[in-house]
Amino acid sequence: MPIISVDARRLDGMLANDYTAETLGETLDRIGCDVEEVIDLDRYRCPNCGALVEGSLGSDTVKVCSVCGHSQEDGFDKVDSVTAIRIDLLAARPDLFDIGGLARALKGYLGEVRGLPHYPVGAPTLRVHIDASVDSDDCRRPYIHCAVVEMPPLDDAMLATIMKMQENLHWGVGRDRKLASIGVYDLATLEGDIHYTTLHPDDEPFEALGMPGQTMSGRQILEEHPKGVAYAGLLDDCARYPVLRDSKGVVLSMPPIINSEPTKVRVGSTRLFVDVTGPSDAAVEASLAMMVTSMAELGGTITACTMVRPDGSTQVTPDLSPETREVDLTHAKQWLGLPLDEDSLTDCFERMRLDVKPLGEGRFAVTYPAFRGDIRHPVDLLEDLAIGFGYENIEPALVPTMTVGKPRPEEVVSGAARMVMFGLGFTEIMSLPMTTEADHFTKLRLDVPERYVRVANPKLKALTVVRSHLMGGVMNALHHNRRRPMPVRLFELDNCVRLADGDEPTAQFGAAEERRLCFAEIGPEAGFAAVRSVLDALCFELGHEATYSATEHPTFVEGRVAAFSAGPLEGVIGEVHPEALDAFGIDYPVGLVEIRVAAIDWEG
Amino acid sequence: MKQLTLTEEADSVWQFLLQYKSVTVEKLVQWTGLDQSRIMVIGAAGVDDGHIEIIEIPRIEVDPAEGSDTLLERGLDERRAVAALIEEGGSAPMPRFVALAKEHDIAVSAVFRFGAARGWIKREKGVGGPPTVSVTEAGRAAMSGEAPDERAVRLALGGKRYLDEMDGIDVGSIRKLLGGRKELARLRDRTRRELALTARGELAYKAGRRLVVERSQLTQDDLRTGAWRDIALRPYDVTLPAARVYPAKPHPVRKIIEQTRRAFLELGFEEVGSPAVEVAFWNFDALFQPQDHPARDMQDTFYMAEPAVGELPREEWVSGVQAAHEDGGETGSTGWGYRWSPERAQAMVLRTHCTSATIRALARHPAAPYKAFCVGWTHRNETLSYKHLPVFHQVDGIIIDEHASLSTLLGTLKAFYQKMGFEKVRFKPAFYPYTEPSVDVMVYMPERGKWLEMGGSGIFRPEVTEPLGCEHPVLAWGLGIERLAMLRLGFSDIRDLYQGGLDVVEGVPVCR
Repeated sequence: MPIISVDARRLDGMLANDYTAETLGETLDRIGCDVEEVIDLDRYRCPNCGALVEGSLGSDTVKVCSVCGHSQEDGFDKVDSVTAIRIDLLAARPDLFDIGGLARALKGYLGEVRGLPHYPVGAPTLRVHIDASVDSDDCRRPYIHCAVVEMPPLDDAMLATIMKMQENLHWGVGRDRKLASIGVYDLATLEGDIHYTTLHPDDEPFEALGMPGQTMSGRQILEEHPKGVAYAGLLDDCARYPVLRDSKGVVLSMPPIINSEPTKVRVGSTRLFVDVTGPSDAAVEASLAMMVTSMAELGGTITACTMVRPDGSTQVTPDLSPETREVDLTHAKQWLGLPLDEDSLTDCFERMRLDVKPLGEGRFAVTYPAFRGDIRHPVDLLEDLAIGFGYENIEPALVPTMTVGKPRPEEVVSGAARMVMFGLGFTEIMSLPMTTEADHFTKLRLDVPERYVRVANPKLKALTVVRSHLMGGVMNALHHNRRRPMPVRLFELDNCVRLADGDEPTAQFGAAEERRLCFAEIGPEAGFAAVRSVLDALCFELGHEATYSATEHPTFVEGRVAAFSAGPLEGVIGEVHPEALDAFGIDYPVGLVEIRVAAIDWEG
Repeated sequence: MKQLTLTEEADSVWQFLLQYKSVTVEKLVQWTGLDQSRIMVIGAAGVDDGHIEIIEIPRIEVDPAEGSDTLLERGLDERRAVAALIEEGGSAPMPRFVALAKEHDIAVSAVFRFGAARGWIKREKGVGGPPTVSVTEAGRAAMSGEAPDERAVRLALGGKRYLDEMDGIDVGSIRKLLGGRKELARLRDRTRRELALTARGELAYKAGRRLVVERSQLTQDDLRTGAWRDIALRPYDVTLPAARVYPAKPHPVRKIIEQTRRAFLELGFEEVGSPAVEVAFWNFDALFQPQDHPARDMQDTFYMAEPAVGELPREEWVSGVQAAHEDGGETGSTGWGYRWSPERAQAMVLRTHCTSATIRALARHPAAPYKAFCVGWTHRNETLSYKHLPVFHQVDGIIIDEHASLSTLLGTLKAFYQKMGFEKVRFKPAFYPYTEPSVDVMVYMPERGKWLEMGGSGIFRPEVTEPLGCEHPVLAWGLGIERLAMLRLGFSDIRDLYQGGLDVVEGVPVCR
């Protein structure tokens, strides 16, 4: 998850009263931000694009620009040092991704402002013409919402904030630009109406951001530009690439990949054009709402734009009209278990920047802003109510209802088996339930079966096996303990999974689970006789008598291996084959027993 | 006065002390045949009773170097130089002397250093020529005898190693002559211990002592015949360290799992389970996780190659879940606004949390009151590192109850963590896709002086509970087990837990 560093002094400057960085950090924590720490942080300037870049922890310089991707061995020049609040972003709350959004929330929580934030939107002057080709077989990126925001002339910090905001919304709302991507431009560099259309990958080259003085075709950008290489996959299915142009044909950007150099926002820019395009209408709408309202918190004035669809119909964006849901006081009190009344409910909601209107009989209309895309049910508003109340003010209580505890049957027998094994001097080990074909089959002289419970996509390529027995883990443990004083006695007791046969009750999942026990003794005297005594003792203590029959098993020495059953227990006991010992790097004889202790019925 | 009781061994030591008043430990070892530690134990016992005094006297040991016997036999360099010079008439000019030394294989530097120190040889300025080397009177006289250091080394080679055992030796001259001559011998500072009987000890002995037989262990016969009455068991130094032994015991993670299980059972929870190889429906869909949620990516979740596809449960649950995802259905929600795919819900995965167990339990038992928990392995598609494992344990729980609320959620978690030994528990807002409100649980670790996050919790969204037929608020949580183990037991590399090394098990006390 991305982390943002918010300049505490700048955040404080956006609030009416004075607060220390620590107070701001603690308050954000109470609002639900994942505050990592409050620290001093250096800032550097990218020599290529001029952006302000934050230093990373523990390194004394910055070598790669997070905005344009420029990198150089020497490191960038340091600009200044700030006290920063570092916050781990939570995808669920993109309205808290930037200093504007955080200030908005803090103003309410600290009691400086109450209720819904209002963002006036000026009447549209700019038109954006949508070409039919953006919703065709050649290119499927049909949705676009735009706005114009007039900002105080941008300084370094503001420019960096807007770039970071865009980057984080790409992650949090746009799912790494898959659903929506944002572009911001200096309106002064544009002329006339904007056209959202497509371009041929090899024709119509333009000057991409970060590579001034050099024109590149769409395909060249995907192959050579760092941002192109990173996001090329998003245009895999496109024969033509989406593009925004002004009335003179100047390219603004090739979404969702890259903006153009000539239209870029610079220090001193004031009128900004913001577009969001994407295949998800909801993500496009949410991204723009989030973007422009945060910019408004930073001193911007929003003006709408008119989207002109291919059929001539129009839509004015952004639509910042708030939405309303009903909350019931009785329900809220029950859901949260809090001593709320009409006044405190109103107070808590207003602290959270929501408007409340009583409807009578304990019902309230709660109005929330357009950027709160996380609200899809009245219970979402109850969460705001609880945060407004303050989790630290909640009195923890227990449900007064009596219930009776009850353990799983396989845990009951496991508890008994474990106690007996300890009494017999065997220490418990645990090993991972995912393993490799080598450890699970080959080294134990077992053929790798054609079908077994197998993982399709492990990051660790060899880790494909979900264990069906415990012998591999126990043998590895013996290897790890081979330099200890002998003998060593140990066991493992855990679940294993095997493929289920057609008429088994758990066949609906294709797999059956069982509780298994494997124990082993290693040492100069270890062998069949010693583990046989232990097994007899275990069976006796669990209330069963074992019967044995000679069998063959590749893991064990021929003539020193038996199958046994004892009530519900069944398994195999023997002396491990020297070839298997060798494969596990073990140089003493080993007696080993593997038992199915219980079949598991999840529905039982 | 209490009668003096002595073992036969102690008595033999006391006999010599009575006779000689004060005896060195070495002599006692030699005379009694007991080893030194036994003598010291007898001595120490006597000191405790005020009967014996242990006297410590500093002394110097001569430790002859290897080959020093040859050096002595051949004659030290300065002695041979004196002999050679006498043959030359008592003196020689420097160049001649150097030639002589070379001829006799004598180190010139040793001659000047030690010969001069002994006063055997002197060097004088030549008049208008090279300096002259000549033998002194003392040098001539020395030829007929043995120098003190030569004698000391010879005696030491013969076994008399301490200067105080050698008659007529001047410690100062020995230090001067042997102090810097490692090829001959080293001088070592030692302490000589003597045992001496005090007046009180002598009195006690003369008043009559009782003799007992001493043994280290009683036999069955000693006990049966009553012979033990005349046997003294040899006393031990009870403060000495003992050989370490370890009991067979549970793995530290198992211990925490068992502690966790006991805590929830005591709180009235039913233990439930669910398959590790799970249908995506129960792992994700039933929990209102949209099918395009990043957590469902191949990047994060293990998908099964075999079995690859599972069966969906009963139709009413499936259609309810589908409606909740698509438009909220009857739940009062807007849903996620996409077309839900039954095929994607049938994919088999390795469960990513034990919430799949508690949500199954909820579907089976939607009526209140009901409390269930599950501890089990959960899986994330990660590689192995000191911090992360692809498989680890979680404990999940639910409470279905008409009194279930945010306040009772916090109360339950607080009760659980207090049972686990954490006095201070704190809560903060969080955002999880299937609970509303969502809460992160933190506990205070006094050893580290900080708050640590233990897991997530909340109240299931109606989109989760209602499609499965549950009409009550449901509290839910998922808490990490390994994290607790690592923090509590002080491991820094999580992989150590599961490699099977017994030191991991033995090194952690049962009570931690």
